Amino acid sequence: MKRFVQYLAVAVLVTGLGFAFAQSTFRIAIGVDPDTLDPAAGTTTTVDNIVDYMAETLVAINEQGAVVPQLATSWEVADDGLAITMALRDGVVFHDGTDMTAESVVWNFSRLTDPDVHVARRGPLAAIDSVEALDDLTVRFNLSETAPYLIGALSQTTNAILSPASVEATGNTYNTITNPVGTGPYVFNGRSLGESVTVDRFDDYWGEIPYYERVVFHVVPEATTRESMLLAGQVDMIILPPASDIPMLDANPSVEVIMGPSNRTIFIVINTNDPQLADPRVRQALNYAVDKEAIIQGILFGAAQAMDAPMAESLFGYTSLGAYEYDPERARELLAEAGVSEGELVLDFMSPTGRYVQDFPASQAIANYLRDVGIEANVRTMDWPTYIATMTAPPESNTTQLHLLGWAPAYLDAAQQMEQFHGSQHPPAGLATSFYGEVDDLIDEAGREFDEVRRAELYAEVSQQIWDDAPWIFLWVQLFPMVHASDVTNIWGLPNEKFYAIYAHPVE
Amino acid sequence: MLYVIKRVLGVMVTILFVAITVFLMVRLLPGDPARVIAGMLASPQDVERLRVQLGLDQPLWVQAGIFLTDLVQGDLGTSARTSNPVMAEIGARLPATLILAAAATLLSIGAGIPLGSWAAARAGKLPDVLISTFVLFGISMPVYWLGLMLIIVFSIRLRWLPAAGAGDGVYSLILPAVTLAAFSIAFIVRITRSSMLEVLRQDYIRTARAKGAAEGTVRWRHALRNALPPVITVIGLQFGELLGGAILTETVFGWPGLGRLLVDSIFARDYPMVQGLVITFALMFAVVNLIVDLTYRVIDPRVRYD
Repeated sequence: MKRFVQYLAVAVLVTGLGFAFAQSTFRIAIGVDPDTLDPAAGTTTTVDNIVDYMAETLVAINEQGAVVPQLATSWEVADDGLAITMALRDGVVFHDGTDMTAESVVWNFSRLTDPDVHVARRGPLAAIDSVEALDDLTVRFNLSETAPYLIGALSQTTNAILSPASVEATGNTYNTITNPVGTGPYVFNGRSLGESVTVDRFDDYWGEIPYYERVVFHVVPEATTRESMLLAGQVDMIILPPASDIPMLDANPSVEVIMGPSNRTIFIVINTNDPQLADPRVRQALNYAVDKEAIIQGILFGAAQAMDAPMAESLFGYTSLGAYEYDPERARELLAEAGVSEGELVLDFMSPTGRYVQDFPASQAIANYLRDVGIEANVRTMDWPTYIATMTAPPESNTTQLHLLGWAPAYLDAAQQMEQFHGSQHPPAGLATSFYGEVDDLIDEAGREFDEVRRAELYAEVSQQIWDDAPWIFLWVQLFPMVHASDVTNIWGLPNEKFYAIYAHPVE
Repeated sequence: MLYVIKRVLGVMVTILFVAITVFLMVRLLPGDPARVIAGMLASPQDVERLRVQLGLDQPLWVQAGIFLTDLVQGDLGTSARTSNPVMAEIGARLPATLILAAAATLLSIGAGIPLGSWAAARAGKLPDVLISTFVLFGISMPVYWLGLMLIIVFSIRLRWLPAAGAGDGVYSLILPAVTLAAFSIAFIVRITRSSMLEVLRQDYIRTARAKGAAEGTVRWRHALRNALPPVITVIGLQFGELLGGAILTETVFGWPGLGRLLVDSIFARDYPMVQGLVITFALMFAVVNLIVDLTYRVIDPRVRYD
């Protein structure tokens, strides 16, 4: 009897352990409630990040921001730049058991280019004329014009490859996918609206099988609450803790802070169409007047790096151009040269609140720096839809003078960053810098050039011109803070504001 | 019965009025839903295409016609932001909000009425002073701050209760319900206390005491029952307050209810969703108040509905 009890105890213990392993779950608290899990319709990096667990793209980007094979193993651009041929990975299956073939890729791109399907970030696909299957595992993209950025753009989650058969699956239609069936290391398990998204490990995954059997993304919009959940041991990882708590979290041995890289540039758009701001010397003065480093340390708690080019370092086409060092004397000189007297310039300065790390407090500090050189900037804020409506008002009714904005290209190439300076994207069509059109030809040329060396040169040239013309107050490239419990490891950030925790595992 | 039918019809007219008002008000807000929903990187063509898909290119009266026709048939339309039916999005989160509001209401009744009666009975003595201090606290404490303090003490320090979310059943409910109820408890204590004091001064209470009724009987049978009607009115109104207060509490505790959905939908200018949510809130408020009015009858047989 005694022995039986011992056996029973051991059995219970073993079962308990087995149960604990069966339940191996990694829990991440995120800030946004996903609007959609359809890769095509997504607009938010964090939502893309979730979709990436389930659906994969042809190419991916690595930690350094380089384009690397994923579902495609190799690719070749035709001599005239008008076709891209890609070899697909063999033996890849979708979660519904069907094979991933050239035909699946063709189907996905016909969906992505179908005007009836809502695709938020379709722009880079405009050059695609057709996609054809050359054989089971080879596809060719035929282009109507050269598009050197296209391969990089295929890494965007928008272009993830879904199982064509899955449009018939529960919850899915051709136009709207709520249950993404891809080839990723995790399978969609379910979603509790407003609460969580759950994915389970896919045992037939073509690549390395992850450690955790289940990953749960908890929707926790409030930064302080995410932080509490992590400190209470309720989740293993959070993104975007309250910026002001970063120093405290850094000092806490039970958690680890990662300052993920990002390609999100934060800047203040100067309305170059305003006669008071038309002189580049005035705009340069605005740049010299602001102590970016002090704001980064004091207000952003280190969660940014000062810009030294009109784009983030991780983009193809980046060249470091030095910096507009904090120099209020130089700013006053430039203003005097431009004939602007002290107190003459009174500017309307709009800033969003809570959209970017410490955006409004930073704007208030910037206004103080401007005041030091004799420029009155009145900061005001409004909710995001009103903000966008105000800054995209047509030229005749657009009265904005300064407005703070963040811009993160969806793929790591200067092409999408440069839209900010291109005439075709001026309000009301887009969100670009107001009425700044001197660099259009150079940008267009760089966008077509498929010789990489020449293309990089063109971007360096256009960057220098923009830097000197100063249509922005160049501020900083935001970092993407995330925090995880120190008993897990193998988590890092990708240069496009994503976290990479698929292969997270406990510390041995 | 005729009264109930009249009141139900009244509720329906109110809802229709709310529906028309919210329809116009969301459209008065500046901002273009297509632009916001399409995201910053969308091309002007794609924004325009989305605007057509959302039906926002139609004249206002056409949009209103579609909205009201659907509404009468019990259809709230499709969310512009998520492409899911508004009913499904609301249906998925409504239980969480109702559970939280109901738990907070029960807490505020369960704690508020006894404490208020006790304070009235010991007016000016120590229990009254202590309870009144607590009331002052409860009324003046911001929900946000209280929630964070409870999380720090009970989740991070003691690790007794989850910090946020709704995944741990009743344990998840405790902190948000207490946080949400704090204000109502205090408010109900205050109303009960003053209503009881009023009643305890009445002649029939003196009569009851004079005829030798036990003090307990006097208080609970004669006094409390007559003190309750104003308290019940307040409870009904408080339930509405709780639905509103839930927006903050839900944010602090990551509670998957309607509050956050409303905030997200307003910031995305998701017209159908905002309309659906406001109508839902109005309906709940109207129904609760109808129930309260009908309850008077049970408490006080003198109340007649004609």
